[in-house]
Formats: sequence, C-alpha cells, structure tokens
Amino acid sequence: MSLPADVPKLGDAPELLRAVAVTKNYGPSIVLRGLDMHVGRGEVVALVGDNGAGKSTFIKILSGFHAPTSGTLFWEGREFTLASPTEARAHGIETVYQDLALVNDLTVAQNMFLGREPIKRVLGVLPLTDAKAMRIKTREFLDQVGIRLASVDSLVRDLSGGQRQSIAVARAMQSQPKLLIMDEPLAALGVREGAHVLDLVQEIRRRREVSIILIVHNYAQIFQVCDRINFLFSGEIVLDVATSDITEEELIRMVKSGVGAKAADESVVSAP
Amino acid sequence: MAAPAPAGQPPSTRRSVADWLKILIRYPETGITAVAIVIAIVFEVLNGAFLSSEVPVLLASTAQYGLIAVGEAMLMITGEIDLSAAKIYSTTPFLAFYLTGAGLPWAAAIPLALVGAAGIGWVNGFVTVRLGVPSLIATLGMLFFLNGAILTVSHSQPARTPESFINIFLGSDQQNAGTGITQVAAFLWLVAIALAFAVVLRRTRFGLHTIAVGSNLLAARELGIRTQRTKILNFVIMGVLAGFAGIIESCASGSIDPSAGDNTLTLYAIAAAVIGGTSLFGGSGTVIGALIGAFVVASLNDGLPLVGAQAGFADVPLGIAIVAAMILNIKLTALRVRQI
Repeated sequence: MSLPADVPKLGDAPELLRAVAVTKNYGPSIVLRGLDMHVGRGEVVALVGDNGAGKSTFIKILSGFHAPTSGTLFWEGREFTLASPTEARAHGIETVYQDLALVNDLTVAQNMFLGREPIKRVLGVLPLTDAKAMRIKTREFLDQVGIRLASVDSLVRDLSGGQRQSIAVARAMQSQPKLLIMDEPLAALGVREGAHVLDLVQEIRRRREVSIILIVHNYAQIFQVCDRINFLFSGEIVLDVATSDITEEELIRMVKSGVGAKAADESVVSAP
Repeated sequence: MAAPAPAGQPPSTRRSVADWLKILIRYPETGITAVAIVIAIVFEVLNGAFLSSEVPVLLASTAQYGLIAVGEAMLMITGEIDLSAAKIYSTTPFLAFYLTGAGLPWAAAIPLALVGAAGIGWVNGFVTVRLGVPSLIATLGMLFFLNGAILTVSHSQPARTPESFINIFLGSDQQNAGTGITQVAAFLWLVAIALAFAVVLRRTRFGLHTIAVGSNLLAARELGIRTQRTKILNFVIMGVLAGFAGIIESCASGSIDPSAGDNTLTLYAIAAAVIGGTSLFGGSGTVIGALIGAFVVASLNDGLPLVGAQAGFADVPLGIAIVAAMILNIKLTALRVRQI
C-alpha cells in the first residue's frame, strides 16, 4: 500500500530505539523471550499480537515501569536503561495507556498539566497553580494537534471517548517526546471516534518528528497510518515488514497460517 | 487558529434548565446553600427568636462540626474516611494540658499538642496507605485506642482548661466586650480555615493531586503523583483540624473533658460533609459545602427543639438528608452521563 500523498517518505531515518534480545520473566513464567525491535525517527510502527503475547510487558519496559530480565536497549545508538517512568519521560518516551490516565473530576486543562502544574507565587509566597497559564497553554496544545474542544474548563467526565483519547495524546505530545507509545488507542472507540484518533496519528506522522509505537488490532487501521508492522508472538517478534511491502490480504493470510505456526513450533505456549 | 465552539444552540428555555443543572453539578454547594437558607427561614418563621437569640450557639456548634467536616471532606475526596476524629478532638487538649503541666508555656504546649494530633493522623494514614488496612478499620482501631488511653490517663476526670489557654483563640470577654465576638470566634476560625482549604483544594498542586488520587488512583500513579504521600497528608490535616477543634472547644467551655469527643461528633461531621456534596466514592467533594453542611446539621440539632420538637427528633430529618444528599449526588452524575 502506498503512502497518502501528504505523508513524506521516511527515507533513511536515523535509528531512535533498538531493543536487542530483550527477555522478561515474572517468576517462573517467561513473557518475553529474546525480543528484537527497532524504531526509526519519525517512524510509525504497529505492534500487533494476541493477548498475552507480551505487548504490555514490552511497553512497560519502554516506559520505565519494569526492568528487562536480560537484553539491551539502545536509544539514539547508545545503550541505555530506564529505572523509572520519570526517567523514560526524561529521555522523551511518552506512553498513552489504554486507561488514558485521565482524572474525570478534573478539567481538561488540569488534566493536561497533572503532575507538572505550573506554579504562580501569589503575594510572593503562596504557591498556587497558574490556572490561567494552564488554560492558555492547553488551548495551544489542542490547536497544535488539531483537536477542537468547546471549553478547556470542561470536566473530563463530560467528554466523549474520542475526545478523551485525543486529550491523552495531546498531553503526551506536550513535552515534545521523541517516542510516543499508544496502547490500544482505538479499543474503546466507535468507528467515527476511532477515525478522529487515526487522523491525529496521521497528523503526527506527517511531520516525521515523533516516532510512534502503536498497539492496534485492526489491520486496515495499521495500513492507514503505520510504516511498519511488528508481529509479536509468544514473546518474540516473528514478523517485521514494511506496510509498503505487503498487502492487507497477504498479512492476514500470513498471520493466519505461517507466522503463528512457525512461532508455535518453537514455543511451549500453545497458539490461541 | 482558535477552536470554534460547536454549533447548534438548544432552545433558550431548555438551555436555562440545563444551565442550572450544570451549575448544580459543577458547584454542589449551591444545593446545600439553598437548603440552609430554607431551614433558617422556616425556623425564623416558626420561632421569631431563632436567628436573633440562637445565632451564637448555632455558630459555635457549626464550628465544632465544621472543622472536623472540612478534614473529613478532604479525606473523603481521596476516598478515605476517619472515624477517630472525635477522639483526636478530645485527646489533643489533654496533650496540651499535660505539656503545660510539665512546665511548658501555652505557646509551646498548644503547637506541640497539634503536632501530636498530626502524628495521630499520620499513623492513621500510614496504617491505611502503607499497610493496606481500609481506613474504616484503621481509624476504628484508633478510635478505641485513643478513647481507652485518654480515659485511663485522665482517670475519666475532666480538667480545667488552663487560664492561659482560654483567650488565645477566642479573645477575652474584656477585649471583645459588647461585640459578641467571643461567642462567634470559633465560627470565624472555621470560616477562615474552610476558605483556605477551598483554595488549597482547587488551586494548589496538593489539592489537585488530592482530587486525582481519589478520582483515579491508577492514573495519578502513572502520572508520577506521589499518591501515598498525598493520602497520608490528608490524614494528617484531618488530625490537626480535629485537634484544633478540640482545643477551641476546651477554650470555649473552660474544661477539658475526656468524654467531650463523643463519637456522634465524628458522625455529625461526616453527615455535614455528605450533605454538603462530598461522596465517599472519592474525587468529588467540596470544603465550602462541608462548612454549610455543618451549619445545616447544627441548625437541625439546635433549631428543632426550639420550635417545639422533642430532643433527639433532629436526627430524623438529618438521617433522611444524608441519604437524600447521596442519592442526589448519584443521580446528578448519572444524569450528566446521559446528557452526552
């Protein structure tokens, strides 16, 4: 499938992230068994695989929640480790979790800055949050990613699923990350809402500044917005292919027959 | 590149209803304020002397319930509750009393006693948050522990509040002669403290994190908020406010009574927070609502007997009000979801 006209070709993008032979055990259960994966700068990579394949575990390693049991991570060509979510963020890795990590009882603007609220000293001493700055900047961020919202003072509780997803993405983009990880952003959305979020991903991709790892199940959506597909099966990447080198039908055929079976031969885990 | 508002204005009459609903949802204080005004008017009509003669008494008990209710409201917003508040209330003045007895001046004894109250709150928080005991149980344990400890140490005997204490927080009668300030001083403390915490809740990092922790603990954690610290700090605030209420009461009454902090005091305070618009679900609640809720609770308790109701009858409407407030809270939330 060819790129949409307005999305620039990736070319020889420098490498942003590389994972080499990453394993992860939780006690006796082996979740990742030598995962290799790389992401170029500005590239959008789909990470697909069944539940239990290890997607969440890998993401948690990349966002600094878990350390790998073994294996090496490279960031911009240099080996690195992530001791905490804060450290991952400091490197420029932002994750939008499936639950979105939004607080219903706070406003859009308050959610946008939650955990890093700007402070204004009132009377020189009292450290109050700078509500005005939060509102103005939130409006800017939303405009930048093309999200239209009537009021940044709405409680998040009152927004639709697509709006919530967009706000979570806008919040992640706010710190100008290098890598954005999106964990099943479309899972809870209807077709139209999902399309808005895909537009948002396409918009980010168009600029080729931020790399994205997108966990998603729907193959049509992958072909719309992703440059490459990584198929995770039983803790390993068993297929790594550019969306331009394969059609949706071929991919589905491969997944149904070859890829899964090949991996199943080498795995003690029974294929679903 | 300004984002345009969505088009399509609903008809004006429907919009005004919806707007009122929005205000009620957004500012839960509006409902309880209306209730408070209605109650005051009804009592004034039934007994012409209600507002003129009863105000000082009414405001004094509002202060008692209110200081604890503010703490409970903050704590309930984090999704926790403190059943031991009334016992912290009775323990703290004793701490101050014994510290004075040990030779400390009041200026050291009272702050130290409040530090003790903070410590009790911290223990409640630690047991709840770090050891994973539900706050209902953790603070129930604290309730009995403090009750037993204070009855034992004091031999169940009240003590006279040291002279030096009495005028500190309320001002002396001589200073305030003729102004009536002494009687309402406790209430003025409550108003100042409630306003301060209303600002803390909405306009400080700690306040927003308090809401976040109660509304979505997992999200708060993912965003790097120190959730445990936030909760524990709210237990500490609860302890200090309950302790402060106890010291003010000991100043007002002139005696430090080991049985002053009856457990119904805690329950009235929780009632005040609930009818003020704070739910135990966490995340939503209002400090000003708790203040007005305390006024409503005090009005029912003090006002109903004045208009000829039997003593104790006040608990009937109060009981109904608590449950009604909670139902309203749930229904408003459901209504809002349906509106989308």
